[in-house]
Amino acid sequence: MTSSSTQAPVAIVGGGLAGLTAASYLRRHGIAVRLFEAGPRIAGLAQSFQDADGFTYDFGAHFITNRLAAALSIGALCRDVHLYGESVLLGARVRNYPFGLLSNPRLVASAAAKRLQFWNRKPAQSAAQWFADKYGPALAAEVANPLAEAWSGLPATELSPAAADSIPGSIAETLMLKAMGRFTHRAVAIGYSREVPPSPNVWHVYPEGGLGLLCQHLASELADVIELESPVEAIEVENNRAISVQVRGQRHPAAAVVSTAPCHILAKLVRGSDSLQYLSQFRYRPMVFVNLRMEGRGLCPDVVLWTPEKRFPFFRLTETPLCMPWLAPAGKTLLTVDIGCQVGDPTWTMPDEQLGEFCIEQLKPIVPDARQRYLGCRVLRTPVAYPVFARAYESDRQRFAAGQEIHGLYSVGRNAEFSHIFMEDVYWRTLKKMRRLRQSLALAQDAETPIEPTREAACT
Amino acid sequence: MSIAVSSPPLHADDSSCAPTASLSLVPARCCLCEDDDAEPVAVGEDFEYRTSPDSFLAMRCRGCGLIYLKTRPAMSELSRIYPPSYHAFDFSPERFGLIYKIRRRLEARRALSCCRGLPVDARIIDVGCGDGFHLKLLRDFGKPTWTLEGVDLSPAAVACARQAGLTVHEGKAETLHLPQAAYDLVLLIQTVEHIESPPETLAAVRRLLRPGGRVVIVTDNTRSLDCKIFGGRHWGGYHFPRHWNLFNRDAMRRLADKADLEVVHIGTQVSPVNWVYSLRNLLVDWGAPRWLYQRFSLQSTVALSVFTLLDNGLRLIGRGALLRAILQRPR
Repeated sequence: MTSSSTQAPVAIVGGGLAGLTAASYLRRHGIAVRLFEAGPRIAGLAQSFQDADGFTYDFGAHFITNRLAAALSIGALCRDVHLYGESVLLGARVRNYPFGLLSNPRLVASAAAKRLQFWNRKPAQSAAQWFADKYGPALAAEVANPLAEAWSGLPATELSPAAADSIPGSIAETLMLKAMGRFTHRAVAIGYSREVPPSPNVWHVYPEGGLGLLCQHLASELADVIELESPVEAIEVENNRAISVQVRGQRHPAAAVVSTAPCHILAKLVRGSDSLQYLSQFRYRPMVFVNLRMEGRGLCPDVVLWTPEKRFPFFRLTETPLCMPWLAPAGKTLLTVDIGCQVGDPTWTMPDEQLGEFCIEQLKPIVPDARQRYLGCRVLRTPVAYPVFARAYESDRQRFAAGQEIHGLYSVGRNAEFSHIFMEDVYWRTLKKMRRLRQSLALAQDAETPIEPTREAACT
Repeated sequence: MSIAVSSPPLHADDSSCAPTASLSLVPARCCLCEDDDAEPVAVGEDFEYRTSPDSFLAMRCRGCGLIYLKTRPAMSELSRIYPPSYHAFDFSPERFGLIYKIRRRLEARRALSCCRGLPVDARIIDVGCGDGFHLKLLRDFGKPTWTLEGVDLSPAAVACARQAGLTVHEGKAETLHLPQAAYDLVLLIQTVEHIESPPETLAAVRRLLRPGGRVVIVTDNTRSLDCKIFGGRHWGGYHFPRHWNLFNRDAMRRLADKADLEVVHIGTQVSPVNWVYSLRNLLVDWGAPRWLYQRFSLQSTVALSVFTLLDNGLRLIGRGALLRAILQRPR
């Protein structure tokens, strides 16, 4: 255990899953921490909202794995998700993702022709090229590119190939996991994590009362170190080392700073060094999630329906009660419509009721009697839904991912790491970084000198 | 094994004792490396006794390969995770018939092989002796001049062993005032995986041993084929949530080093139990009918025989289901 007697506490910026995991880990190892959360409550994007009618709203179709639940000791408080599937709507046909797409001979022929052109292979320079190389021009043009574009707000030719190459996994592995999921009647997690391997024994679960339980559970032992409504105004850096944070005008010395702030915000927070200035160009896709309360259930052909066609103003439709019936009262359902936008644009500023009406109108090709079923809506907006991997700053993104800018400054969490990762990866990656932070503090403590520069910092 | 039986029964009116309530769990780390640099290898539940609704995560230490539970039941929960129906409390000829007889013969041979070269007046102690099964074997098949003792945490197990006329101390080897440097042989048979800190227990065991005295450790082998096949969830060796530390050869060597004991031999031995329980756990977990999974238990002669034969083959290539280490206090 590291004694914290002579060291200032580690300052943690942000009380979402990553910040709370970091605080909990460090505390368990005897390291003093202070967690500053700008908002009036913890949990960040891992919040759930419930209404009096019995509906639960999350930011997207969120669930966690039984492995993460066990790691956090909340397995007993989670329910198994028995089914999960994604489909793509092309023309009038719904095709199961990914293998249903193979039933279209045109798409298959195009992919096969591309694969056979092995003499003409160059590393992809953009997501568009990556999709075309991997899936063939037809599937790229009709499905992959439009989805990537709606999701990121940039043309696929402007996206880095890293945006396309998101989650590894072979076809054989995916088939095996799907078969096991069907056999065991559990929603086996496929393509969900990079840090730890998939397995037929790892499936999706949902905490009782909503995803917020995760963070509440972590926070339960941290009550005395969490400071709400305490936005960090600055992270002070001296000799390329983070030394303190400024909160409401007051300076708090820190042995290290763990930031969960999105990159462009971190760039503004850091004072005394301009080595992170390049982060200010990193962009996130703002997203509006319109949760439509509807009569009936099974309005969507699958839990997730991707809608790549331009006729739809949204790119994804999710009916979470299909796999998690407890999210809506009996006989009713929730349809979540994901619309990418820009902060301040007409979609972002549209009043909630109007957004609901707009979505109902646009849903008609999929749910013809949507209007008759419509009960009302609840809208969740976030300006930082997904990191956008633009080609324009791809080399900087790689530099950031490789780590090492400012000593004693650690970025954890999806937005702070500028990475497309889900909750379980957030957890394991945060633990990994906090182990390194703990070791560097222990070294500093042993030496009884200020922390020696080590090759690690933001985004290591 | 080190087990304790509840004084309050499981279904007491205190609702926290009901099996539906979560256990109080405490975080753990690798007891050998004293660090938590580990990867998750399995998520599981108490498939066998359903003593709680919790799920548990087995982690493999990147440093030494030890598998441990990321969070494990607090010591105060022992009475819940070892219910009165726990098999080690009642491995009796009445309940297990033919299996009991076969196992007794087999185990007697093994126990005596541990005792080769012991002096006529040898003093032997079985740490985690349970109901005294192995002590009885040594009494019945060994030299009458040996002094036999046992240690166990569980008052019920101790009472049972005493009833059989054995000398058994109730408590932990670390804290009991046992004579130091007095024993020629210490047995830890399927004990080390149940205890909180194997290095601390082994350090205490070392103090009990005479210079040159030996300790024999038998425990589940995480490099066995059954662990390889079922290790993602259903492996019997996990025995969720009662096995807190699980070893391979390297981790066992590390344990010996840490306790300043010399390795005389580390090998594997045959056991069908983890095979049978792995299959049972899998069937239970996948919702198989009762009549099917009941074919796989400690009372299933056919299943036990088949897997004994199989594991015999595996032992020949050093992959038997159990690990057996013989360690020695330096002279």
